[in-house]
Amino acid sequence: MSEPKTYSRLNAGRLWANPASRALFALLLVVLIGCIFNADGAFFKLGTHRDALRQSSVFGLLACGMTLVIIGGGIDLAVGSVLALVAVAFSLMSIHWGWSPWLCVPICLCLGAACGSASGCLASWWRIQPFIATLALMVFARGLAKTISGGMKVSTAVKNVDGTYRYVDVPALFRFIDSRILEGNLSVVTVIFVVCALATWIVLARHRWGRHLYAIGGNEEAARLSGVPVNFSKLSAYAASGLLAAVAGLCQAAQEQQGDPEAGGGYELTAIAMVVIGGTPLTGGRGGIGLTLLGVLTIGYLEKILSINAVPEASRLMLTGAIIVMAVLAQRKRRS
Amino acid sequence: MKIGYSTLIRFSLAAAFSLLLAGCGQSTSTPQTASPPERSLKSTFTIGMSQCNLGEPWRVQMNEDIRKAADPQPGLTVVFKDAQNDTLKQRAHVEEFVSAGVDLLIISPKEAQPLTEPVAKAMNAGIPVIVLDRRLIGDRYTCFIGADNKKIGRAAGEWIKQKLGGKGTVVELKGLMTSTPGQDRHTGFREGIAGSAIEVIFEADMKWLEPDARKEMESALSRFNQIDLVYAHNDPGAHGAYLAAKAAGREKNMLFVGIDALPQEGVAYVSQGILSATLQYPTGGAEAIQTALKILKGESVPKEIVLGSRLFTKDNVATGGQVLP
Amino acid sequence: MTSPPPTVPLVRMTGIGKRFGNVSVLHDVSLEVFPREVLVLAGENGAGKSTLIKILGGVHTDFDGELEIDGRAARPRSPLEANSLGVAVIFQELSLIPSLSVADNIFLGRNLVRAGFVDDREQRAQSKRLLDRLGIDLDVDQRVEDLPVAQQQLVEIAKALAHESTVIVMDEPTSSLNAPEVEKLFGLIQQLKTDGCGIIYITHKMEEIARIADRITVLRDGRHIGTAPASDVPPDKLVSWMVGRDQDHQFPDRSARPGRTQLRLDRFSVLDETGRRPIVDSITLELHAGEILGLAGLQGSGTSELFLALFGGSNRRVQGQVFLNDGPLRIRNPRTAIRQGIALLTNDRKATGLVLPLSIIANCTLAALPRLSPGAWRRPGREEALTQSLGRSLNLRAASLHLEVGALSGGNQQKVALAKWLLTEPQVLMLDEPTRGIDVGAKREIYQLLDELTSRGIGILLITSELPELLALSDRILVLHRGRLTGEFTRSQATPERILEAAMGKIQSGL
Repeated sequence: MSEPKTYSRLNAGRLWANPASRALFALLLVVLIGCIFNADGAFFKLGTHRDALRQSSVFGLLACGMTLVIIGGGIDLAVGSVLALVAVAFSLMSIHWGWSPWLCVPICLCLGAACGSASGCLASWWRIQPFIATLALMVFARGLAKTISGGMKVSTAVKNVDGTYRYVDVPALFRFIDSRILEGNLSVVTVIFVVCALATWIVLARHRWGRHLYAIGGNEEAARLSGVPVNFSKLSAYAASGLLAAVAGLCQAAQEQQGDPEAGGGYELTAIAMVVIGGTPLTGGRGGIGLTLLGVLTIGYLEKILSINAVPEASRLMLTGAIIVMAVLAQRKRRS
Repeated sequence: MKIGYSTLIRFSLAAAFSLLLAGCGQSTSTPQTASPPERSLKSTFTIGMSQCNLGEPWRVQMNEDIRKAADPQPGLTVVFKDAQNDTLKQRAHVEEFVSAGVDLLIISPKEAQPLTEPVAKAMNAGIPVIVLDRRLIGDRYTCFIGADNKKIGRAAGEWIKQKLGGKGTVVELKGLMTSTPGQDRHTGFREGIAGSAIEVIFEADMKWLEPDARKEMESALSRFNQIDLVYAHNDPGAHGAYLAAKAAGREKNMLFVGIDALPQEGVAYVSQGILSATLQYPTGGAEAIQTALKILKGESVPKEIVLGSRLFTKDNVATGGQVLP
Repeated sequence: MTSPPPTVPLVRMTGIGKRFGNVSVLHDVSLEVFPREVLVLAGENGAGKSTLIKILGGVHTDFDGELEIDGRAARPRSPLEANSLGVAVIFQELSLIPSLSVADNIFLGRNLVRAGFVDDREQRAQSKRLLDRLGIDLDVDQRVEDLPVAQQQLVEIAKALAHESTVIVMDEPTSSLNAPEVEKLFGLIQQLKTDGCGIIYITHKMEEIARIADRITVLRDGRHIGTAPASDVPPDKLVSWMVGRDQDHQFPDRSARPGRTQLRLDRFSVLDETGRRPIVDSITLELHAGEILGLAGLQGSGTSELFLALFGGSNRRVQGQVFLNDGPLRIRNPRTAIRQGIALLTNDRKATGLVLPLSIIANCTLAALPRLSPGAWRRPGREEALTQSLGRSLNLRAASLHLEVGALSGGNQQKVALAKWLLTEPQVLMLDEPTRGIDVGAKREIYQLLDELTSRGIGILLITSELPELLALSDRILVLHRGRLTGEFTRSQATPERILEAAMGKIQSGL
């Protein structure tokens, strides 16, 4: 074997080899860009950061679930549709039927978990490729959302039998979720996101199931022959992804004060981009929630910077695409 | 070649699936059997309605308006087909209506080029065609009914100019600028406020989506301390902007104007005091049925009917808004 | 059977050497094949036969020595180039594309083209003619994946023969064939001989060598031991060439302390995908507590499949009964096997033994997680401590226990795999090639460890292709040939020759 390299080169190399450092570097780069293009100082206002976090939270929830599934060697394309389905269901139950939040929230969470479990069942026991299985569920959940909403948004304008509309109040839970705390400096959805992310982090790092997922993603056959319950673990990952998508749906409905069956379109791709930029490889077996959080912040801040600078839409798309490609290429230089 | 059990299963599934797909065009009532229309002698008519998609609530409203106008008419049946935003599917629907021998065709096309020919063929077969909302190429149709987005945008601009007394700061939240409605509502608006001291301090493309509008509005709020009015190209966009302002506690300091005026959306927002004004982008559904009846009775109709718009504000929302010239 | 060979061989290999990293796999090996003859290439597992023919077939392009094809120096850089030089190799691992038809496979890589398009009709016609000539009755339009393995092998042979090659190499071609199909193959080989081809035939089945060999070349430990006409090499001489006399006295003395019967198999069979042919055929055996029971067998003997089926890791149909400590054992999956105290160290650590992206600790604790984490929450501290102590007893050399296992050397990887199973505290430990890829010093450590484990009452089933290791470690040895038990020896009765003879098909008993 060759002699070890000189110490200084080895240090920098080892730093770059760590995916967390690379993700952090990307985030700091974005923050630097924000400092330079600060839109007349808007970037330095506390409100801007609070807003950047708020608008990333829904995507962040999806990205957490996506991380679990990707680590286990799969992918979940259905999360955007499940978000819409839950948003519609939540609005129907809360706004139109006036049910108590203690009833609505658990039902919605179960709905999300059920959708996820359906994906998981197809992908694990029936051995359908995750891409196809979750694609099928993506279409199905979207169709279900449109069916139960009648194709219209479920809002505070409730249609009477005679065709006129009456206006009901926005439910207290909605108003709470969409509110701010800490003297208006932190959005409640951000708190919800952080709590969910922490819970996912702990489970992934410390629970037996988390270790199972890493093993399955890393080498499914070796995991199976080591006694890991492969099918059950994979199903649970998809169920968890559905559950987090349901939380995202609750937040989305509250922030729009309505349930939109068209909501969440394309959100799954943004979630995947956040996971990938964070450094979790799509092949599975590696990565973690911490990396995904860095990816969430990177994309979230990038969007915010483009927004406050009123960059035209076409340029935004090109810039975001270019950055995703660069981030993925940078990930490649792991072992020579 | 021996046909195994699995091949048989696969074949039956494929056959069943294609039958399912063919029927997926959502026929809600049975079409009449083919027969050349002899309108003068008939008392019952069938109208085929080809909708390009039902994903937008506005189009759901269009179908709803058509249904509401057709229901009270005795002997009038409308068959709805939804192309789910697929041009080829819509072509197929038009051809199906022709071979079923409907008395009249109403179509809201997805795109102009691919649907011009099938509609011309329908005209050749003796079926009159009413085109709604989006134009076709040429003039091989009986009547086009649509609203003028530029005119609506201009009306919005003029109302805003008058409301703000000729000066103020405005945020414009635009719809998808690669689409004609977005471009028209933008240019119309700019024409409307021309010559005044109104300044558009922030504009962004929110792609017709409420969450995106809220996001852009937050950026505007963090940059500018003084915003007098928000003009959004559609009501969901205006609503998103309102929510952003409300979260910042600044919603009382500014006015919000949107377009579309769907009864459960824009008009509701105006009633609730969220929007100061919304302009109706009429679906043309009711007008389509009225024109259809005229055609079926044998009367002549104009080649083009430009729909008027209505302005809804708090004062006139109960009385159905103010008709714009 | 023998005819005076002409002076120019079809293939001549001289002084062939090949290394993988530091390990020398072939050293100064020579081989010649003449037209109209069958040369049998014989040797134990790991003797270097496969490597040698891979060099001839253009798979390994980096080697020492000279290769002459048809009298001209050649160094084929790819299998396709070897084909064009007239050499066709039929490997054990089938190289067919499952989703393509028989005709497509026969013409793989050299499609007939007409006006820019693949001439499907001509390909099918030619394939049909080829199969008819070879006496193979198959539908050329059938997809290869729909064929049973035996017929796939025939397609593989037809594919090699379609190249109009002069040298045909067959590596264990009859491993999946039944008796009539073997007859057909031998008939084919006769025909090829008359056509002027030279055939290199790798096998370790004595009965086959007796039937078709004209000359025999024997390799052992990567070296050429001898080449002679078949009539000059009777079976016992052949076996002694293959086995040799070297014995490394590096094994600890074992005092066999077998206790009560721990694991008992009663007519245990494992069937193949068709459900009809047994890969493991009606094996009856007993493992005692504290005993090392060695299982010997050459390629295709079914030893690894036996382990996998016992462990619940294969989805093949299983017949017969298994008893653990006198109670019947029903194992549906590896999880239940581990719970019952059965462990399996597989023979391919990279593919089925380790999760390469995970750390040493993660890999070590993977199988024992249910035991180490009661209540489903892991205790990283405990995991690290256990891994550390186990690593020390195995002399695992790694900079940190948090290192990815994929970054370790082969020997250390094998130790991690072994550690994983030791952590499950098994009663019965099945080891499939446990010292593969480990250096001499580490092997010694492992032998010590195995001895110690048996003193604690653990029963060990051991598969190893290294005869010296098998002889030194095992208290008893069972030999399998094509799934059937052909020999059973105690330590005193076992000799390398007897074991190899049994492995090659001759029924033996130590009694």
